[in-house]
Amino acid sequence: MEEVSRSGIIITVFSTASAVGKTLLSVNMGAELAKNGYRVCVVDLDLQYGDVCHHLQLEPQKTIFDAQAAIEKDAAAFAVEDYVTVYEGEGPEFAVVAAPLKMEEACNVSTLAVTAVLSRLRPLYDYVILDTTAAFSELNLAVMDFSTIITFVGIVDFIPTIKNMKIGYDTMRSIGYEKNKIRFVLNRSNSKTHIELQDVEQLLEEPFYHVLPNDFAAASRSLRCGVPLVIDNEGTRLSASLQELVGKYTNRLSGDGSGQPGVTSWVKRLFK
Amino acid sequence: MPEYRVLLVEQNRIMMERLSSVVRNTKGFQLASREKEPRDALGQGGVFLPNLILLDIDTQENIDLVREFVRTFPQAGVLCLSGQWNAEAASTVVKAGAKGYLIKPFTGEELLAAVNTFGESGMGLLSDVLTFFSPKGKSGKTTLIANLALALAEKSQQNVAIIDADLQFGDMAVFFNLDPQSTIVEAVRDIHFLSPITLNSYFMPITDRVRVLCGTKRPEFAEAVNSRTFIELLSMARSLFRYILIDIPPAFNPVSVAAAEAADAVYIVSMLGGGFETAHMQRTLDVFKIWPDCEQKVRTIFTRVEPCDEAAEKKLAASIGYPVAGILPNEYLLVANAANNGRMAADINPASPLARSIDRLASRICADRHKVV
Repeated sequence: MEEVSRSGIIITVFSTASAVGKTLLSVNMGAELAKNGYRVCVVDLDLQYGDVCHHLQLEPQKTIFDAQAAIEKDAAAFAVEDYVTVYEGEGPEFAVVAAPLKMEEACNVSTLAVTAVLSRLRPLYDYVILDTTAAFSELNLAVMDFSTIITFVGIVDFIPTIKNMKIGYDTMRSIGYEKNKIRFVLNRSNSKTHIELQDVEQLLEEPFYHVLPNDFAAASRSLRCGVPLVIDNEGTRLSASLQELVGKYTNRLSGDGSGQPGVTSWVKRLFK
Repeated sequence: MPEYRVLLVEQNRIMMERLSSVVRNTKGFQLASREKEPRDALGQGGVFLPNLILLDIDTQENIDLVREFVRTFPQAGVLCLSGQWNAEAASTVVKAGAKGYLIKPFTGEELLAAVNTFGESGMGLLSDVLTFFSPKGKSGKTTLIANLALALAEKSQQNVAIIDADLQFGDMAVFFNLDPQSTIVEAVRDIHFLSPITLNSYFMPITDRVRVLCGTKRPEFAEAVNSRTFIELLSMARSLFRYILIDIPPAFNPVSVAAAEAADAVYIVSMLGGGFETAHMQRTLDVFKIWPDCEQKVRTIFTRVEPCDEAAEKKLAASIGYPVAGILPNEYLLVANAANNGRMAADINPASPLARSIDRLASRICADRHKVV
């Protein structure tokens, strides 16, 4: 079968509150997609305090800052694959573009360079996943603009968080993002709280696209081991739910609805 | 209410007429005497027994005479008048003993606000600015600031302000259930037309001594605040409050850096959650260590520390290789309920472990000798 060049899907993982599980979601989506045979790159766009490499216990030799330097030096000779760090934990491999190592570097990464890196990644990977910060920064707005989907992660802990979700969503709608581009994912759904999920959906005027259960212990264990939940063979509800979410994002595989990866990698390759 | 017997000193004839009529028409004030020349006022004013002196300081000569007025009229408060706000002149006259600073022409309301605000303690140019930074957010910082402001006001019996400079997603208004008529956006917009007295009204009152300047109502308004206007706002606010607590957004950006640089103390706040909090704390400290006075100026606080005891504090200090200024226990449900109900000022029980930890921190802050200006 002839290889048809197509542009990859870019998924931005965004939130309006910190510590809602963006990085956890990013690395698990990356691992699950890789497990399903897709070529995946996770880009850490929390430039100052990025945790993707912490999560995966990677020690990157090159970061997005080095990629920027190379692109500025000679854009034609720039090969983005030289600036990724490969995660090859328990089976599936995927690429990571690491956040800068030094704070000073982080403050000197330009939006222009990031978008240039992303445009180079797009033809090489089926999925590019962007882990971001909780702010409408110039960088986040730029990458959301050309994302296929924005995964808007929220938790229902207390009113201020919900208020910020609401004004964040309104802001995204007011700058012209289609409803369909924004997917609400609720994390830690059954944690201690006095707020009902339905009330939040009513306020947002949108249902949650997916709801992840609370499993603090499993998440903490995954952080300590540096292995994404979806490949750690512990079979938790959280990992099943993460797999289900990825199933929704790859409708090519969602036939039986069980969230089980029914098709092996080489078959996926065939249909690409 | 005390009767103010005003001695007005104003060079400009028309302005003098205008201000005289404001003083005469304001309840609680009477115009005891007025002079064009400051030396006439110094020589003859005493016979009218003034207890409030309104002194025009648009000339250098008058600025130089402020100390003389304070000495000559020890029973009176001196309020300086100027056509526009000038932080340097304000600082000079306050050091010379003036109680405050008022922009002329003023209304009766502004005059009343001025004596009420400056009456007890005078302009607080000796204010302490405390900026609260969190590396990644979700640190319990807003809870800490809200409760610390209340505790500082209680202990010091002086005015305390909170400035919510988390411009996109500030939560202070929700914490205190405020629907502010004016926010930081309006304050920086108007800053060049404001004086401390008029700026004070942009802060929403929480208690008698605590006021809040709320953050933006929508994230896109954040662009209206830049580091230059923010610093102008802060320097004017310094004349109103003994303590100013600034809530800044996560990560380094121009406004948060400006707020940190302008501060007398920077608190880095991080919540323990089984993630990479100590790594982020160290990374943040590395940035501040460029400051030669980092050790004096930069302090660390950890929240949700369980068990919250001295051993935990020592362990944290060892893990980051830096002193820990305070630790707070986990009281998620207590805080969440208070915030949900907008009753942060009333719902946190003073006997709770959280309140007691914050109280200890407030004591440490009050005990700090402020640098001599």
